[in-house]
Amino acid sequence: MSTDYAYDEEGYLWPFFVFTLALIITLPLTYLLVNRSRDPAASFPRIQTNFKHAHADTVDSLRKQEKRKDRKLWLIFAVITGWTVMGYMLYLIQTTEAPTHKLWNPYDILGISESATEKQIKSTYKKLSLKFHPDKAKPDPAKNETIDDLNARYVEISKAYQALTDEDVRNNYIQYGNPDGKQGYSINIALPKVIVSDGNGKYVVLLYSVLFGVLLPYVVGSWWYGTLRRSKEGVLMESSNRLFREYKDSIDEGGVVTALSTGKEFEELFKGDKADSGLSKVESRILAEGELTSLAGGLSLKDKEKLEDLESGPQRKALALLWAYLGRIELDDPELNKAKFAVAPIAHSLTKAFNAIALAYMNTGPLLASYYASQNIIQAVPPRSSPLLQLPHFTPAVVKAVEGDSRVHTSLQGFMDRPDAKRRSLVVGNDLLTEEQYREAITVAKQLPFLRVAKAYFKVTGERFIIPSSLVTLVVKGRFVPPGSENVPEINPADLEDIDPAEDDLDALSGRKTRKLVGKDEKTGKPIYETSETELVAPPLANAPYFARDHSPRWHVFLTDSKQGRVAVPPFTFAQFDRPVLEADGRTPTFAMQTLKAQFQAPPQAGHYTFVMHVVCDSYVGFDTKMEVTLIVEEASKAAEMEVEDEISEPEEDSIAGIMHAAKGGQPKRRKPQVEEDDSDEESGTDDEDDDTSATNTDTEPEN
Amino acid sequence: MFDIDWRGLLLPLAYLVVLVGTFMTFSTVYRKRKALESANLAPWFGPHLQRNIYLSLLHMEPEEGSEKSPRVPDSVIRAALLRRAVEDIHRIIQIRSAKQACSSLLQRGSVGDDLWQRFQRAEKEMEEELRDVVMEANALVPGWGQIIFQSANEIAANKALRDRLEEIEAQTEHDKEWWEKRRASIKTEFMKELDEESVKGQAKVGSDDEAVLVDTNTPSATPSGVSKKKKAKK
Repeated sequence: MSTDYAYDEEGYLWPFFVFTLALIITLPLTYLLVNRSRDPAASFPRIQTNFKHAHADTVDSLRKQEKRKDRKLWLIFAVITGWTVMGYMLYLIQTTEAPTHKLWNPYDILGISESATEKQIKSTYKKLSLKFHPDKAKPDPAKNETIDDLNARYVEISKAYQALTDEDVRNNYIQYGNPDGKQGYSINIALPKVIVSDGNGKYVVLLYSVLFGVLLPYVVGSWWYGTLRRSKEGVLMESSNRLFREYKDSIDEGGVVTALSTGKEFEELFKGDKADSGLSKVESRILAEGELTSLAGGLSLKDKEKLEDLESGPQRKALALLWAYLGRIELDDPELNKAKFAVAPIAHSLTKAFNAIALAYMNTGPLLASYYASQNIIQAVPPRSSPLLQLPHFTPAVVKAVEGDSRVHTSLQGFMDRPDAKRRSLVVGNDLLTEEQYREAITVAKQLPFLRVAKAYFKVTGERFIIPSSLVTLVVKGRFVPPGSENVPEINPADLEDIDPAEDDLDALSGRKTRKLVGKDEKTGKPIYETSETELVAPPLANAPYFARDHSPRWHVFLTDSKQGRVAVPPFTFAQFDRPVLEADGRTPTFAMQTLKAQFQAPPQAGHYTFVMHVVCDSYVGFDTKMEVTLIVEEASKAAEMEVEDEISEPEEDSIAGIMHAAKGGQPKRRKPQVEEDDSDEESGTDDEDDDTSATNTDTEPEN
Repeated sequence: MFDIDWRGLLLPLAYLVVLVGTFMTFSTVYRKRKALESANLAPWFGPHLQRNIYLSLLHMEPEEGSEKSPRVPDSVIRAALLRRAVEDIHRIIQIRSAKQACSSLLQRGSVGDDLWQRFQRAEKEMEEELRDVVMEANALVPGWGQIIFQSANEIAANKALRDRLEEIEAQTEHDKEWWEKRRASIKTEFMKELDEESVKGQAKVGSDDEAVLVDTNTPSATPSGVSKKKKAKK
């Protein structure tokens, strides 16, 4: 060890060092802990309901259990340790006295003020030397003095006197703060001396080798294998692999549910004898005759065959329980009922993995099936069953009373659109709903966020036409209109427009601000917009009394090619919206026009492309929208031409251009046959512009 | 001359030995484990039943007691080979459609590395299987190798179509029953409405001819309606 540096022998420096170190580590951990223990779901609005089903307590306890799992014990421990160490160090800093390196001050030693004149100094010195000269003064045993002390004190006094009178000494004092000239200074290392003292070296080496030879590889290894173990969707890699094997082009929702049961997560849930216990009971219940469907679990005959083909084990139990959950079947066993509610969240997390797989194949059917399976699992409604089951208190018997023998399910919207008296007469009665239950169901139905699409169109920011390979924005305008809501205001046509932000408005271009419609200009009738900071609003958490997680609903917008059954533009996901969904009271809908934007590359050839646009909500059954949209891609030359035309003022009536203009009749999108002669240079011009806009457009890409 | 302090060198040497030793053990253990893992990967496809049938037909063991193995007719062997080709078509379609999805999912980290390894192995096996089938076909009938997969493809497509048809046809019985029930219930409800209306009509305008006409019609219709309703109930 180098002797140039002193270690902290007095033990007053290292507490500072340790304190700082502990602070650096503890503060982020504390932040993490506080942030995590705050319930993220608490900030979301909820759908207000008093509905409690028979097993609401079980579901609640499962939810709480999940939250507790999130809270990591080691984190709490680390934070507590950190703060304890910091407290102790503070205590040490407070109590340990730092060795006093007092500034040497000759005035203090002589006991005179700094403004004293030379005369005063001299007289004081004389007085003091008379008093304290070692020959005169006697050591005072009461003060525990010795001769040496007296000597030292006298030397100090004469030094001080010299410093104030002698020129050289005075200079020394002014420059270095000491009459003896420059003093050596020392650097101390804020580590306790214990570390370097002989005999402890081996322990330090041991500590180092444990830290770097064992702990570091362990941490890095566990991190690396942890990431390998789980797929990007957060499910076990093995489950993901199995789901990939289960994928079929013709898979339907029931098939997806069956596929989900292959998840390795279930094997961990049903270990040992749990895999078979109660299986026959569950199966007999789900395969009993149901009220709405031929089997109580809501599974089709094909699904039943698949279930019966499985070897008994975790997979079969998971599948049986999943069907029991979807069919809301009472299992008369607290253990089994709990397991029934526990499998659903796992299955839901697996739907995400299946969704990614279906998306990789780009086939519409499986993709939709995966979304529908997610809806079914969240709402605990069997596939292809009535959406009315989503309402509280609605049992198969009630649904049967509404639907009769009809094969086409009554949608929630259709049911709620009927007059109140008619609805009431259908569902209120003996063995059906009581008046109170009916009211509860209706209040919940009137809060469910159904996104009613008002308009969907394509555009290119800053351009009037869509030219091949440009970056097209699909703009979907829609309002949240809960089923059965009354007094829905008319759609303001100005709301349906999507005005490009000004080119110099960088904030708006980059999506940091949104534009709000303020009013209409009196004279020109042009809408006036006001930019405001974007504040994205989340819709209320999904009303899912049976699902043992809090789930924030998401909307997926994607385009498909109906002829080939393939996905043309992969889904864009929206979980937050630019305008408030609910009023301040948390239940009245605002009916504000929401804007959903999705960007993609236009096809490389001009022409009319008809897509089927799907807007799918992952949390509610039957709230999806499917509509045809046509993308008109114009030749690049045509757009260039239009730009040139824009610059020319109104053509004269008798000119050819004037006739052409009249023939066009204000329909700028209609293609017109025209001889194109000099479009080569213009085309290159537009290409440049196209590049420009696409560059800005990538910035404005919406968060999703 | 060289006065080597062996004792002083002991420590660095021990360090080197430990270091190199650790690395070597680690790498051998790791590699062995990897090899074992990839050897134990489950095959992509299940057992190839059709190929097994074909091969067992081709290499029939002589029965006990008799010297000569039983002769299998050529047509049976050919049929077995064709069946084998049909199964291969199914598998090849599955592989072709899965390939792009699998590789893109692997890149995104949505599926694991071992799935990709299994997939590649299956692909290689399929290639060899196809070559084998073509060779066998050519051995049975010269020139058949070129067209065996065409016919197999047609058989596979036909099979798929027929399966779908059967599935739909299996539904008819169920649908018919449902429709009978539905029709009966609609009828009874309709009749009930008519009855109610006629009762009302009679109360209001008792002497109206049309009301009487309806009234005479109803009794004949009502019994059947009731009986149908009963049927509907069970």
